[in-house]
Amino acid sequence: MTALAPSLPTPRLVRAELLKLRKRRSLSVTVAALTVGGTVVTYAILALLHVANPAHHGPAGGVTNLSHVIWLLSALGGGAAVLAGTTAGAGDLGAGVFRELVVTGRSRIALFLARIPGGLAFLLSGVALAYTVAAVASVAFAGSLASPSTGSLVAGGLWVLLSTSVYFLLALGLSSLVGSRTTTVVILLAWRFALMPIILSLTFLGGARDAFPDAGIQQLAPHAFADNLQVGRLSMSAAASALVLVAWTAAALAIGAWRTATRDA
Amino acid sequence: MNTTRIHPFVVEAEDLTKRFGDRVAVDHVNLRIPAGSAFGYLGPNGAGKTTLIRMLLGLTGATSGSMRLLGLPMPERRAAALGRVGAIVEEPRSHPFLTGRENLEIVAAARDREAHKRIDGALARVGLTNRADNRVKTYSLGMRQRLGVARALLGDPELLILDEPMNGLDPAGMEDMRLMIRGLVAEGRTVVFSSHLLDEVEKTCDEVAIVDLGRVVVQGTIDELTEDTGAVLVATGDDLRARALLGGDGVELVEDGLRVRARDAAAINRLLVESGLDVHRLEPERVSLERRFLEITSRLEVAA
Repeated sequence: MTALAPSLPTPRLVRAELLKLRKRRSLSVTVAALTVGGTVVTYAILALLHVANPAHHGPAGGVTNLSHVIWLLSALGGGAAVLAGTTAGAGDLGAGVFRELVVTGRSRIALFLARIPGGLAFLLSGVALAYTVAAVASVAFAGSLASPSTGSLVAGGLWVLLSTSVYFLLALGLSSLVGSRTTTVVILLAWRFALMPIILSLTFLGGARDAFPDAGIQQLAPHAFADNLQVGRLSMSAAASALVLVAWTAAALAIGAWRTATRDA
Repeated sequence: MNTTRIHPFVVEAEDLTKRFGDRVAVDHVNLRIPAGSAFGYLGPNGAGKTTLIRMLLGLTGATSGSMRLLGLPMPERRAAALGRVGAIVEEPRSHPFLTGRENLEIVAAARDREAHKRIDGALARVGLTNRADNRVKTYSLGMRQRLGVARALLGDPELLILDEPMNGLDPAGMEDMRLMIRGLVAEGRTVVFSSHLLDEVEKTCDEVAIVDLGRVVVQGTIDELTEDTGAVLVATGDDLRARALLGGDGVELVEDGLRVRARDAAAINRLLVESGLDVHRLEPERVSLERRFLEITSRLEVAA
């Protein structure tokens, strides 16, 4: 019997985290519905409208429709990220399994850190599949419209992955701190869908708005889609935006790790 | 079990105390549990059994005092010590949406690399092989308890700490658990378990500690705690005649025979047989663990 290695999670631990998320049927179905389902339904509606009345409704593909779907995917994917992040952060605690893991002697920090790659692998596979559907549809259904360039397709995909990852990490850290899935879901959904749009549209706040994570996410939106993805007039540089996102996610993960390491199991 | 035993005590607690605000859950406990034994940790509800176990396993911190697990100071050498320990704390918990096997895979991932290879053996040992691929939400309480034991075995532990392992088990399940605990001890492991099922503890353990109001009140072997009272219990074909034959003070009729104080059993037997009486029972009277437990805990409650 060997002493267990300290704080770094092993690939086996990461796979175990992925297993726990993947096997939650309701979570998997919800995440798939919010990402792949939302994208498929959106393009299906756009395509049907075009077929039914081409004079009033243009082709379903093209850059503009893709930017709308990216916005939708960012919003619904953000919701999925909150659900996945809170489950990864508080699922073991809620089921009472955290204690069973702690008594193995494995570092609590390693247990916490394993949730990051495990949860991202679960979430981003759905988001990536949804974006792939969107990208293919934007080209296939472009018709008379200009198809998005390869560069903008890649940039759009990376941005969607970034925006959902940020919310996953915030949810993971906060739920590990709070220890409750439901409470964290309510807080973060209210933050994401009510508070952030309001704050970012309050022009009198000026540059203070740049300190919020959604400002950083929006500032990093690809130029090709920026008109539909940015709210208000924010003026951060890309480096400053990245710094805002790193600060928020690092702070969330740090408090989550601290609480995981110190809580009574 | 890959173990080199270098320490005679698997658990050593010295003046261990845990307070929750004004309430003292564990009160200056001194305890030494010898290696290679089945050790019972007994006490009424709220006596501090689980809190002590949680401290030993690093699940909650001690307010004061010191402890060593397998000779290693806790919590300083927590990872090294717990890597050699298997435990059930309170009721074993699992993810209900995962199968029994998947739940073990998750815990095996947190243990050493060999743990994964022990899953099938652990499932077989607790009799869950046939249900291993069913979701835990379909398991009975007893099956969940056995899954918890299987989980505790994944690390090939030198020491098993089981908190109320017989809860939820039917009589056959208790018998299986008792045999399993004795089997684990026969392999050279130490099994420490808390329980309030005194009869099961008496049948299973080599040594026990009785705790109440957060303190260890008494510790000793089962033989020491269930000591001979000096009396002999006798049952014959005619107890009234036997009583007359044995005569004098110190012979009393009890529920199923006679209780004869301070007399030699061989002499009693000789007298009764030579007088033509059939002797059905002749044994030294011992204080049961249950009686000893009730004596101790009720005395403490009165004092408190």
